[in-house]
Amino acid sequence: MKRYAYYMSCINESMTKEVDRSIDFWQKDLGLEFVKLHEGTCCGGSNLDYVSPKHFALVNARNIALAEKMGLDLIVSCNTCLMTIRTAKKKLDETPALKKEVNDILKKEGLEYRGTSEVRHLLWVLVDDVGLDAIKAKVTVPLKNYRIAPFYGCHILRPSKVLGRDNPLAPSSLDQLIEALGGQTIPFEHKNRCCGFHTLLVAEEESLNVAAEALEEAITLKADFIVTPCPLCHTVLDGYQAKALKQAHIDSSIPVFHISEMVGLALGYTAKQLGIKRHIVC
Amino acid sequence: MKPFDIVIVGGGGAGLYAAMEAMKTNPALNIAVLSKVYPNRSHTSAAQGGANAALANKAKDDSVEMHIFDTIKGSDYLADQDAVDVLCSEAPKIIRELENIGTPWSRMEDNTIAQRPFGGAGRPRCCYCADKTGHTILQTLYEQCLRKGVLFFNEYFALNLSVNGSRSKGLIAMNMKTGKVEAFPAKTVIFATGGYAKMYWNRSSNAAGNTGDGQAIAYRAGIPMKDMEFVQFHPTGLRKSGLLVTEGARGEGGYLINKDGERFMARYAKEKMELGPRDLVSRSIETEILEGRGFDSPAGKYIHLDLRHLGADLIKSRLPQIREMTLNFEGVDPIEEPIPIRPTAHYSMGGIDTDNFGRTVMDGVYAAGECACVSVHGANRLGGNSLLDILVFGRIAGHTAAEEAGKFEPGSISEEELKENVEEIRTRMQPSGHYERYGALREELGQTLALNVGIFRESSLLHKGIEDIAELKERFKKVRVFDSSDVFNTNLQQVLELQNMLDLAETVAVGALAREESRGSHTRIDFPVRDDEKWHKHTLATLVDGKATPGEKPVTMGRYELQERTY
Amino acid sequence: MTETIDQHQEGKRDVTFRVFRFNPQVDSKPYFDDYTISAERGITVLRSLNYIKEHVDATLSFRAFCQAGICGSCGMRVNGISKLACTSQVWDELDKCREPGIIRVEPLRSLPMIKDLIVDMDPLVDKMTRYSNWVDSTMPLAEMGKKEFLISEEEFQQYDKATDCILCASCVSECSILRANKEYVSPAVLLKSYRMNVDSRDGIHDIRLAELVKDHGVWDCTHCYRCQESCVKSIPIMEAIHAIREDALESRGPRDTSGAKHAEAFMEDIEKKGKLVEATLPIRTNGVVWTLRNLLPMAMKMIVKRRTPPPPPLVKSAKGIKVFRAMFREMTEHVKQDHLKSQKK
Repeated sequence: MKRYAYYMSCINESMTKEVDRSIDFWQKDLGLEFVKLHEGTCCGGSNLDYVSPKHFALVNARNIALAEKMGLDLIVSCNTCLMTIRTAKKKLDETPALKKEVNDILKKEGLEYRGTSEVRHLLWVLVDDVGLDAIKAKVTVPLKNYRIAPFYGCHILRPSKVLGRDNPLAPSSLDQLIEALGGQTIPFEHKNRCCGFHTLLVAEEESLNVAAEALEEAITLKADFIVTPCPLCHTVLDGYQAKALKQAHIDSSIPVFHISEMVGLALGYTAKQLGIKRHIVC
Repeated sequence: MKPFDIVIVGGGGAGLYAAMEAMKTNPALNIAVLSKVYPNRSHTSAAQGGANAALANKAKDDSVEMHIFDTIKGSDYLADQDAVDVLCSEAPKIIRELENIGTPWSRMEDNTIAQRPFGGAGRPRCCYCADKTGHTILQTLYEQCLRKGVLFFNEYFALNLSVNGSRSKGLIAMNMKTGKVEAFPAKTVIFATGGYAKMYWNRSSNAAGNTGDGQAIAYRAGIPMKDMEFVQFHPTGLRKSGLLVTEGARGEGGYLINKDGERFMARYAKEKMELGPRDLVSRSIETEILEGRGFDSPAGKYIHLDLRHLGADLIKSRLPQIREMTLNFEGVDPIEEPIPIRPTAHYSMGGIDTDNFGRTVMDGVYAAGECACVSVHGANRLGGNSLLDILVFGRIAGHTAAEEAGKFEPGSISEEELKENVEEIRTRMQPSGHYERYGALREELGQTLALNVGIFRESSLLHKGIEDIAELKERFKKVRVFDSSDVFNTNLQQVLELQNMLDLAETVAVGALAREESRGSHTRIDFPVRDDEKWHKHTLATLVDGKATPGEKPVTMGRYELQERTY
Repeated sequence: MTETIDQHQEGKRDVTFRVFRFNPQVDSKPYFDDYTISAERGITVLRSLNYIKEHVDATLSFRAFCQAGICGSCGMRVNGISKLACTSQVWDELDKCREPGIIRVEPLRSLPMIKDLIVDMDPLVDKMTRYSNWVDSTMPLAEMGKKEFLISEEEFQQYDKATDCILCASCVSECSILRANKEYVSPAVLLKSYRMNVDSRDGIHDIRLAELVKDHGVWDCTHCYRCQESCVKSIPIMEAIHAIREDALESRGPRDTSGAKHAEAFMEDIEKKGKLVEATLPIRTNGVVWTLRNLLPMAMKMIVKRRTPPPPPLVKSAKGIKVFRAMFREMTEHVKQDHLKSQKK
């Protein structure tokens, strides 16, 4: 059994509850044990770092330190949380004075940020730790009839000096996962593009245009569904899909899955169990 | 169109400074800047090293006088000493002015503008911004021009001056976006179009557009060119693109190797080896190639600059930019392979003959920068003086034109004259039986110049060069423009640029043949020493009856007597 | 080993350039032309285009000037990515082709097409003007050229990288928001604005910032990092954008614009609960009216699917919130001290 500390993203506790729920179904099947970090706090969502760089460092040093206390790597299933926490880690590791300042405060809680735990995405754990062959071996319901559009999202790829797992120009990990599950990945130009989530409340029209472009391509390519490793991308592509497509005068729709649901389906769990019925488009 | 007070042709350092200064001198004037590229693309951006000014930030005992002497000596005593006075005295002011308006100069520990040593300078007086000095100066000037609302005509290709007897009526230019030939009637015109070293084509480090457009236009209008034979070569240009591999590569210990595997610099500069002065290293490499010890390739003969013995670590830590550049432009990783190089033409000392105020012999026409020859560089330009030249004399030309614009009648350019210009272009586009390819001609021009009017010159070679150029000019008449569209016809533009290069190439070769001595960048095998008695003077080339006609002009002397130039 | 290198040296490969063509005078819509040439190692995309123009098709139109990576003229999309043609090696690009042996060459996006690979740069210049992308010097006119400003290395470092920008517009072409709305300020202009705003010689910081926080300004960036990833000079553009936002929050306050309110909400929620209160985020960002008008129809669907985020009282605080809050506030004290120190300076 491989053990990891599991970071609970705010969005997965409110709007996209199906992510954590579906992981719970299959984690043991793949020999994984995710220990939920109930003490973890919001990472700052790619905003806190400029609102207050020092609070940003403190909050995320603490999130990582909680995992370090258990001697485990920190696993994240939201792209933006991933990028944000890794950015903080990089800053802490490169700035000894900041690390010291933060640790002086963390002492109060008996915590220390040392920089020993890695911060990684659920997708990377599946592809790199479990391994594609092991996943293949566990598949009971191959997704062989499905044409799947992989939508990586931004913050699992960029900035590449912070993320570094996939080539941001030609990412492949999600494609590999799809194929391991027996699905057919399609050449999707928008695979490494943006969903527009982070400006939904500030520049909605622009955000929806961004989302509509990706949706339109997937629809044109006759994909059966889009899959994304990020619940924020999912929220736009699924939750705001109708609005985005209406704005772009496109009369169609396409389901959008989380990777956790896609894995669950291939491992034999039902759409209902996995929470797919909770999606706006299904 | 309403006549302009000033039309500035060229949007590099000289043109933009001229525009800024002219607006400052008289804000009521109607000024336009025409440029064939967006101004921020201009070749000023390629100058990495810096600009000289005796600020004495680094060496407290530096002085304007020392800068003057270094410049005169560097010029091999061909510079006009009053002009050099102006250049060096204005230098501190202009560097500070640029600083005041935003140029991000690198800094010393005491927070003043940083200065570093440069070849031929007795004190470290070269002000710089890392390795992007020209780029940041150009950005600053462009930003300030936008701030002041300078009227830009971007991507306009200048065709001809409109001349009435001894004075200019303005400029005729083609709007690249529409293909329309437009008149710019003007009281004054300032040429600031940069150098002409691109006529050496693949044997040049210059931008593709450094085709001497302003000089060629002025020349066709009867304005004399001065000291055109002086072209500076850099020893280590990349074989395929001509781009420079900076001196740093040799400074860190790189070897120059011929095809026999020999470090041949031992033959030419036993002590300094690869670190000898630029002109000596250039001549040495050229000798190796001429004597058959170069490598052969479809892109021409070359020798190796070998860095491999320095090791991957040193190359990566000390020469990362050089490595990036050879990887990007030549596909060669200097950690694994030697870099193919050969000397490359990179600066033209000659240009439109002007006085110290930027005036030419024609009323209302001015020139500044590499396009002009004042002359402050004489037979050889010092590193760090080219940026300075464009800034100082760009500003002076702008100021002079602004002051003098009132003296001239507003010009008017007739529809007929415009039509003539259009006709000339149209005939190029007509299909004809036998035609010539402009690309081939351009390459042949570069080849004959490099071979016959290059680093080593000699009477028979120069005669051959002049013949070749004449033949190319003949063949040029049959060059056709295949792109018949009006919108952004780069095919047409390149053909017109070739015409400009051909016109100027003749003046370079004729000047080189006339000057029977060796001085600065001009090396005659048949006249190997400097001959002050006969040749301490400027050469002129004026277009008379379609031919480059040589003339001459005395050098203005001052405080410094002629001396041998040794370092 | 040596043999392979020698072989490579002389090696040539057949390459097809699939080039975007459009001449507004004759074409009703764009199309692609294929040019197959033999390219030796070391040849750049730009040199290949030059070769095609000289030997195959003189009508092919593109911009090129310095050919040395410093003038920024030859920005175009090669195999889908915006970059400089002059610094792109053909053999490297061959490894990135979607269809083997075929290199796609297209114009930059989000700028008006002129012809083939040439796009109109004027919109970018107009934006540089609108956002005062210049230093408005505080040096009195009479003093100009007479003395230097004293600039610390620390300050120089703040804008050193930013002044590398050559305005090639690769970031403009790759920007997600600009694709969605051409009015958007654009990454290069944000970068330049940042560079001017941290320059102590400049006197119009507040005016520039006031323009930047308006609609289509700095708050519209969606943090996709495409600009930074595609920057041919590797400039951390997103860091500049974040720095403008940080500056805006500090000098104009957190209630200034919806963008500022949105950003500040993260700070509030984390301090209070350690978790984001998503349900009220739209109201706190844009007010009740906007929220009702824009989100109500969607909220209905979400209620049906039980996807609505819980109302504030039901958002569970992170475990151990009390200690966390104390630490968070301690850091607030640190930040206050930092401010006092920097003000004294």
